[in-house]
Amino acid sequence: MEQLFQTSVDEVSKLIGLTEDELRILEDADAAASELLVSEFERYVERKYNPEVPKILRAHNLMGVPIDEEYGGRGARQLVQSLFLERLGQTGMGPITFVDVHQCLGSLTIQDWGSEEQKKRYLPLAAKGEAVLAYALTEPEAGSDPGSLKTTYKKEGGKFSLTGSKYLISNGSVATHMIVFAYPEAGGRGPSAFLVDTKSAGFSVDMRLEEKIGLFTSDTSLLTFEGVEVTGEDLLGEEGRGFSVAYSALLNGRIGVGSGCIGVMEDCLNQVKERTTSRVQHGKQIGKHQLIQKHIAFIAASLEASRWLVYRAALKKDEYEADPKNLALRSDADRLSAIAKYTASRSAFESADRAVQCFGGFGYSIMSPVAKHMLDTRVARIYEGTDEIMELKIASSVLGKDFEAYK
Amino acid sequence: MQLHLDGSNSMNASKETVYSLLTDPNFLAKTLPDAEDVRVIDSDTLEAKIKLRVAVVSSTMKVRMTVAQRTPPDRATLIAEGQGSGSSMKINSVFNLEGSLPTKMSWSADAELTGVMAGLGSSLLKGFATKKVNEIFEGITKAVESATV
Repeated sequence: MEQLFQTSVDEVSKLIGLTEDELRILEDADAAASELLVSEFERYVERKYNPEVPKILRAHNLMGVPIDEEYGGRGARQLVQSLFLERLGQTGMGPITFVDVHQCLGSLTIQDWGSEEQKKRYLPLAAKGEAVLAYALTEPEAGSDPGSLKTTYKKEGGKFSLTGSKYLISNGSVATHMIVFAYPEAGGRGPSAFLVDTKSAGFSVDMRLEEKIGLFTSDTSLLTFEGVEVTGEDLLGEEGRGFSVAYSALLNGRIGVGSGCIGVMEDCLNQVKERTTSRVQHGKQIGKHQLIQKHIAFIAASLEASRWLVYRAALKKDEYEADPKNLALRSDADRLSAIAKYTASRSAFESADRAVQCFGGFGYSIMSPVAKHMLDTRVARIYEGTDEIMELKIASSVLGKDFEAYK
Repeated sequence: MQLHLDGSNSMNASKETVYSLLTDPNFLAKTLPDAEDVRVIDSDTLEAKIKLRVAVVSSTMKVRMTVAQRTPPDRATLIAEGQGSGSSMKINSVFNLEGSLPTKMSWSADAELTGVMAGLGSSLLKGFATKKVNEIFEGITKAVESATV
């Protein structure tokens, strides 16, 4: 689905030089986005999860885009991953949420923190799409403050037993495996991250949360863990280092969300251009009315500004990946990913709102191509770090660690 | 809103048979998917109410289909005009036939849509139209092949 306002491959090639394999990823992404369009729209109107997303991504070998080639993935750099998500984002935030969770929060976290055995066990399956991943951090009483998680684990011998609830978990009822965060029941240390097979005894999907105000085609669930047993081999990263695992996952995820929002803004601009050059009111195309042009200018300027912030964060993340012991680079990547996600999600929401305005009364219908963007991008300002948490992170990156207001 | 679609498919029948069936309103009347109240007006024209379904939303459009230009047994132009549910459309389609047993049919269609339906946007409409056209040609191919057995 190559669109008019999509970043041109030539432009990116001049910037970073794209290999043949990377160009193929983007071609595959365009083809997958085109194929997804109809089912995504139909399921959206029906307010149902879209099972075509993993099917189509599998068919185009796009389930493991950022996974290293040695584990069966396509080894995309962060910027290429962003360009892939940007293309997919043109179809909406539903597919983006599925992919962001499976790849950025799931696969990349296993790749960054997993033992060699864990990487060999999970990543080839995730790359083929035989495993679907979820990331279970949020709880009914712990959203922006993961320090208040109530899920606990009991350690007995070499085994761990997990008990608690996880709330608003994307891919929760469709995942085969998930990364689950829990505190030791006995206290004394920070939380740990575990890889849980959703077929394990004691795991259940309590509720599929379908009463959302948008994001209908993405699965969101409430999960229960009643003494779910995992072994020491399922511990992701060292025991007690769950926060480090969680935060590094969110760094990847935030660039992913920002990238998807770029695609949304591209689609808004395309749809608005088509609408305002074809609809006639007061004897002329509505695009010739200056107040409509004001909305178009806002969307176009927001798209360009957000796009380069997202790319900058992605490039910084690539730089950090090449020098993983450089903590200054990590800190920069973290700061830029927060700025990119904060700006892109807010801009996408406002752009979608203005696109709805340009569509007039029909824009308020769920059958219009832009209404879903307005409903869906709202959550991009909440999940994977609310606007407010992003603001605190950005401000403390300017003022210094002593000013970390969320601590 | 303007849309262009094209494609080709193959039918296991002679060129003459394919041509005569595809330009016969009585035959076309039997192959239209989701059609109600189909009436053949004359040897060039039929009218029908066609149900258009998008997810859970369905609407009905009254359509008049005319075989406009005939160049037997190679080529013909079909025009479909319809309106209903706050939308109107005009589709100009041309098919060309090559070979025989099987006969290869290449076709192209230019559609102009206005009203509510046009608001869906060209990328989405193209996706739906492609899906619908594939259904239509599957039906036509089956009907042509079974008519020639």
